[in-house]
Amino acid sequence: MTFKYGIATTVAATLMATTAMAEIKVGFIGSLSSDTGLSTLRGAEMAIDELNAAGGVMGEQITLVTADTGEDVTEGVKAYEYLAESEEVDFIISGSIDDVSLGWLPRMQEFQIPTLDTWTSYIGIIDMVVEDPDLMAPYFMNIASDEALATLYINFGADVLKAKMGWESVVILAEDTAFGEAITGLVTDALGPVAGIEVKEIINYDIGTVDFAPIFSKAQASGADFIYQVSSVNSQVISSQYVKLQVPMAMTGVNVSALGLEYWEDTGGAGGGISTLSPIPSVGFELDPVSAQFVTDYQARYDSRPKMPHFNGFNAYHGLKQAMAAAAEAGGFGDVKAWNAAMLKQDLKLEKDGKLWLRYGFWQHGEVEEVTQRTYPQNALFDLTAPYEDAQPSMVVIQWKEDGSVGVVYPFEYANTEFEVPSWVK
Amino acid sequence: MMQIIIQGLLLSGLYALIAMGFMLIFSIGRTLNLAYGAYIMVGGYIYFWLSQQIGMPKFVGFLGAVVVGAIMGLLKHRLIVKPLKGDPVAVEISTLILAVIMQSAVVLLFGDASKILLPIIPGVVTISGAQVTYNILAATVMSWVIILALYAFIRGTHTGRAMQAVSMDQKGAAISGVDPDRINMITWAISGGLGAAGGVFFASYTQLSPTMWVAPVIISVAIVIVGGIGSIIGTLIVAHIIGFLEIIVVAVWAPELRGVFTMLLIIGVLIMRPQGLFGREEH
Repeated sequence: MTFKYGIATTVAATLMATTAMAEIKVGFIGSLSSDTGLSTLRGAEMAIDELNAAGGVMGEQITLVTADTGEDVTEGVKAYEYLAESEEVDFIISGSIDDVSLGWLPRMQEFQIPTLDTWTSYIGIIDMVVEDPDLMAPYFMNIASDEALATLYINFGADVLKAKMGWESVVILAEDTAFGEAITGLVTDALGPVAGIEVKEIINYDIGTVDFAPIFSKAQASGADFIYQVSSVNSQVISSQYVKLQVPMAMTGVNVSALGLEYWEDTGGAGGGISTLSPIPSVGFELDPVSAQFVTDYQARYDSRPKMPHFNGFNAYHGLKQAMAAAAEAGGFGDVKAWNAAMLKQDLKLEKDGKLWLRYGFWQHGEVEEVTQRTYPQNALFDLTAPYEDAQPSMVVIQWKEDGSVGVVYPFEYANTEFEVPSWVK
Repeated sequence: MMQIIIQGLLLSGLYALIAMGFMLIFSIGRTLNLAYGAYIMVGGYIYFWLSQQIGMPKFVGFLGAVVVGAIMGLLKHRLIVKPLKGDPVAVEISTLILAVIMQSAVVLLFGDASKILLPIIPGVVTISGAQVTYNILAATVMSWVIILALYAFIRGTHTGRAMQAVSMDQKGAAISGVDPDRINMITWAISGGLGAAGGVFFASYTQLSPTMWVAPVIISVAIVIVGGIGSIIGTLIVAHIIGFLEIIVVAVWAPELRGVFTMLLIIGVLIMRPQGLFGREEH
């Protein structure tokens, strides 16, 4: 009896071990309590469920484990180590903010785990890929990087802010983060020479700032025509105080809180007039049928915020499927170079009304983008030139109106409303 | 220049309102009540819940916040401070822990995303080029009304004078027929109510978030340490020193250095004049 029990136990343990081995383990790294992190997590969950329902990848089911960064750099490093060492994941999908990604990047270089960043857009990481492609082979970023975001935004400056609104000078209010520094640098370098808009002053502020009244006063004192804000953390505070104080200058730029449908509720309605650049797809952006179906399924499955996934949710959904397709081609995630080569070939084209609307692919090594005259290996494909026939633009500019509606104001090919200043700005 | 003066006055009024309740407990209860920020946070959230989520009149929301703050103060005195009487370190640690627990409770009930509290009195007026909300004007007026009322209460009523006596010498006050326990209870309730009232204005000026209690505590500690124990006037003056200091640093220097000089001021006063600029010497 004991002998039989022993055999049964051994067989069961072997079966369980075999089953455990026949899994592809995906690790999510990001904040489990922010809209940003949850967008990526949920996009990944939906992609995994669909892949598993279709039989998995290479006959193996995909499992998902999570590691919370709390949007903190140190916690982010610990989270990556946990996924690599304790969970021994095959692939990592990231919804980390820029500073956190920069924190865990050395761990990725050390562990060489294929990793897809869906939110971080820091151009410095793409520079690392350019400088050391072998070390950075596991890394892909499927959001257009800062350089591309800023470049198209400069076009918005020239086409709308300068040509249409007649503004000639700007004061920049930027948060003190890697993201803030990168965007500020790029915008400052290009606004003058390309858009003909003079940068009067740059005001940096701490991300813990909750009282913007004296900062807005300082901005007014600069004599600039409008404010350019760069805010990715606690962004609803600066925008709601702008509205509550009725600052008599127009304000545009980057405001991450305005990327979600919850923005209106979070600001208690004190958010009208705020415009922000947004990676695609964004709120107010018309969706192709595939993306629209993703949102429908998402909303049927999740009843908590974010009500609509941010752009990184779409990136996670399509990107994870592409990572798995690349693994299937490369025979798994173990051979990073083979996976890298297969990942670079991924190319998903989504059309709307017969026009290329969204494209999920990657820039190749050595491929030069014609406007910025630089390379973006392993970064999401984008097109910086109208009419955007090769891919979608790197971003759109959306604007929340004072009645709570939201729409795209730029590029004109994707616009469904017009840019306007708040009613209190003369 | 005019903008600095106006914004300095308004911010200082708000700071004085926030610090007044903290000063009372520090002076009379002799407790560094680090959970004071919890009154401020809870006040803001109660107002948000009643007026913005349930849709009750703003006055009811404000009153509800003050009542809940006062009850919190009473409970804290009864359940924590009194049993730990005589052990100030234990009281300080337990009040800090209580603040963290309150933070978790707020996350549980309202989530950890920041929320924007709509102005109690909406509208903006431009004064000498500075955008001034009616909300912060109301906070400043409210601050002055409360400070004057508190001053009159302490100087002009039997209970107020008893509070003064307890703050100076608890045993002596007891010998003179004052019940220090009753006075302490009243003080904790007033402090809780003042904190909650300040919290409503502070939140409507800034934002609601589960970590919003930290900044007001730092401001209050700074004001009371620099102002000195037992001085309403000192609290008022130092609130203005710190308020103006912050506005000037942001306006003419760098927003990132906003709180640095306040910290330097605390260190300087602790070294040069430990009893505070307007406090009495302790024997």
